[in-house]
Amino acid sequence: MSDFRATRRALGSLAGAAALAATIRPARAATKLRIGLLHTLSPAPLYLAMERGYFAAEGLEAEFRFFEAAQPIAAAAVAGDIDIGITALTGGFFALAGRGALKVIAGGLHEQKGYEGSAVLASPKAYEAGLTGIDKLGGRSFAITQFGSSFHYMLGRLAETAHFDLKSVTLRPVQEIGNMVAAVRSNQVDATIAIASMAKPLEAAGAAKIIGWVGDLVPYQITAVFAASRIISGRAQDVGAFARAYQRGVAEFRAAFLLPNPVETDRAIADIKKYVFTGDPDGARKIRGGVGWYDEGAGLDVADVTTQIRWFTEQGLVKVAVDPAEVIDTRFIPPLRQS
Amino acid sequence: MGEGSRVGLALTGISHRYRALQVLENVSLTVAPGEVTVLIGPSGCGKSTLLSIAGGLLKPDAGRVEWEGVLAPDCLNPFATVFQDFALLPWRSVAGNIGLALEHTELTKPKRAVRIAEVLELTGLADFARAWPRQLSGGMRQRVGIARALAVRPAIMLMDEPLSALDAQTRALLLDEFAALIARAGTTTLYVTHNLAEAVRLGHQIVVLSRRPGRVRAIERIDLPLGDRSPEDSDLRAIESRLWAMIRDEASAAEKEAGHDHA
Amino acid sequence: MTTPDPHAPVQLSGPVPFRAGGFAPRVIPLAGAATLIGLIALWQAGAMAGLIDTLFLPPPFAIATALWNLAVSGELWKHFSASLMRLAIGWSAGTVAGLALGLAVGLTTILRSPGMAVVSALFPIPKIALVPLFIIWFGIGEGSKDITLAFGVFFPTVINTAAGVDAVPRSLIRMGQSFGLSRAAIIAKIVLPGALPSILAGFRITAAIAIILLVAAEMIGADRGIGSFVLAAGNLYDTDNLMAGIVVLSLMGLAVSFVLGRLEKRLLRWR
Repeated sequence: MSDFRATRRALGSLAGAAALAATIRPARAATKLRIGLLHTLSPAPLYLAMERGYFAAEGLEAEFRFFEAAQPIAAAAVAGDIDIGITALTGGFFALAGRGALKVIAGGLHEQKGYEGSAVLASPKAYEAGLTGIDKLGGRSFAITQFGSSFHYMLGRLAETAHFDLKSVTLRPVQEIGNMVAAVRSNQVDATIAIASMAKPLEAAGAAKIIGWVGDLVPYQITAVFAASRIISGRAQDVGAFARAYQRGVAEFRAAFLLPNPVETDRAIADIKKYVFTGDPDGARKIRGGVGWYDEGAGLDVADVTTQIRWFTEQGLVKVAVDPAEVIDTRFIPPLRQS
Repeated sequence: MGEGSRVGLALTGISHRYRALQVLENVSLTVAPGEVTVLIGPSGCGKSTLLSIAGGLLKPDAGRVEWEGVLAPDCLNPFATVFQDFALLPWRSVAGNIGLALEHTELTKPKRAVRIAEVLELTGLADFARAWPRQLSGGMRQRVGIARALAVRPAIMLMDEPLSALDAQTRALLLDEFAALIARAGTTTLYVTHNLAEAVRLGHQIVVLSRRPGRVRAIERIDLPLGDRSPEDSDLRAIESRLWAMIRDEASAAEKEAGHDHA
Repeated sequence: MTTPDPHAPVQLSGPVPFRAGGFAPRVIPLAGAATLIGLIALWQAGAMAGLIDTLFLPPPFAIATALWNLAVSGELWKHFSASLMRLAIGWSAGTVAGLALGLAVGLTTILRSPGMAVVSALFPIPKIALVPLFIIWFGIGEGSKDITLAFGVFFPTVINTAAGVDAVPRSLIRMGQSFGLSRAAIIAKIVLPGALPSILAGFRITAAIAIILLVAAEMIGADRGIGSFVLAAGNLYDTDNLMAGIVVLSLMGLAVSFVLGRLEKRLLRWR
């Protein structure tokens, strides 16, 4: 063998080694996405998406940041502590969105006619005294978390549809949902709103009476997904990736709980139980009884969000001019088809 | 002014401990009505304690305090005390401070005003009825103290080093005034001091107490009326020297003992 | 070159060097006022120049406008009068109770140690943490708000009153006793006036605490009141009104301080 051949073989080995090395480079690093949410049952589709690896599959390293109330989630997005949030749309949210800091990109929980989402609860004493229907709320006292909250909005829209005077209702802001329920049970306020998983056990125990369901009178986009404006403009592909993962979670959530022939409900319950009702022996029943309605494809009910903006503005709860077109961005997830 | 009270005091076998210290041991003495009895002695000999006991403001561990005599009808409080630190209420005027001693008595408001004006006149404070204590000098404040004491027409005056907190010049001025006031009132007086000039100027009976535990070491008498005593009197000077000799002994011995205690 | 001989006597002549300067800062009220005005002007200028985001920090002019609108619409009075009523009731109740216990702790053996032990144990509890408890006990009506304020006022009052009573010179009390004053007369004429400076100083503290607690007290069940107004504005990110409410609270504090200052001047002029 001549030197030439030896060199060629050596070079060939080197080339081969290099080619091999090239294929063993590390996979592309996943981008971090911080998601803010309430630590309750309501964002269940997101729990499913996380447990089943849908975020990871889209190249996202999703991180949940839990909050105890809706308001701080919007503020956290503005301040840059989270990138995407899902929570109730409140007056405060629209005040921030109206200044351009946030945009709504998808739908979340939706109060639906015929689906037991949020109930109007009457205290035992008020019920005895004749508060037996939503139309009789005029002149009563009503517990809410705060002015401009989703509960305030629901009451306002109930007043419009059931024809009682909102101004005649004495509002009692009590900060926490727990306080709302406690106030009604102890007859300190006449009525309040509570989600099914809280309202039904209360009525069963005789501590309060359900006098109607919000969704029957006022279909309402109760929670929505929003993103900080800077994320939408600077990291649009990450938002798109999130949207796809989210939609998969919503689809499987609907399949497990909302469709006529549910599939894999137990597996969904097990995944959800890792985040809420963990270790609760009664957890499965509570989850079954308490899951809310998510629309197909998680489309946003744009008409309702527009109504919300109108109502908050009319009540003087949002002081800046808010253009619905500016605060809603439906390019990532198509909006709900209006029937 | 009607007839004053004529009350005498008899202290028998007074002993008292304060915390771990025996302050007084078996002190007996009589205070004759209308006379000034001066208690002198080195620091810590228990003279102020003895005064409190005599006035019913402190219960002795052993011994008796008895009084005997006649209380005048216009006596509003049997005892009156003049304090070393004046004990004036800073939030009341001069008239108000004197009034404090009279408000709970049977005197009506107008009568009180008359009494207050009287004693203010006596002590030369007539122009200062509405002044606050903080506006007054030390000497003036003590004049208020004695005015207050005189206002109740006491049967027994207790005076606890009344001039000790004042500077030497004020003290000398006030001493003459005190002598005049006490002589005029003719009240039985128990006067505590460590100042020999005061003792000799004011006392009819001068009781020398030993160092702690306080015992009666000696009793001197001066029967000369207060108005007739002058600083140049040689007899008085001799008594003063005698008293000083006794007290100097006691004081230096006390100091040595204190040194041993701390060594 | 000659070096000075260290052992030669030193000649002195001329003025003695002055060594006692400094350590006596003077108060210049005009400088204080001018600084505050200057800072506000800077703030306004910054906002107008776009250096400060008006969402996060409304400029002084916006706050003033918000205040004006509140005053003109009657909202300001509606909230202010509700809070004033709660402050008056809560502060008075806490003060009366605190004065009573403070006096008792200062004067009686029976209550001194137990009283101070209980006060020391309960005083450090943050009143805000107790609001939910008060709701359960007293409801979400006016009662729980008044009690929250009274509770916050009670403890510092006890402590200051007891301290004031302790500070009355014992010699004054002995003087009263030596002149035959009754126990009640001594308390009324010697102890209380003597403790008054400390008690009034305590009022400054408790008034400030009451205003701070107002926001906490009005968190639950209040649809009117400066505290609830501030909370609602915060919730709605209505920063103009939020700052306006804070300014009103601040002015309330200043007003109370002014009134107490005059009271002190009048009652304590013997000092």
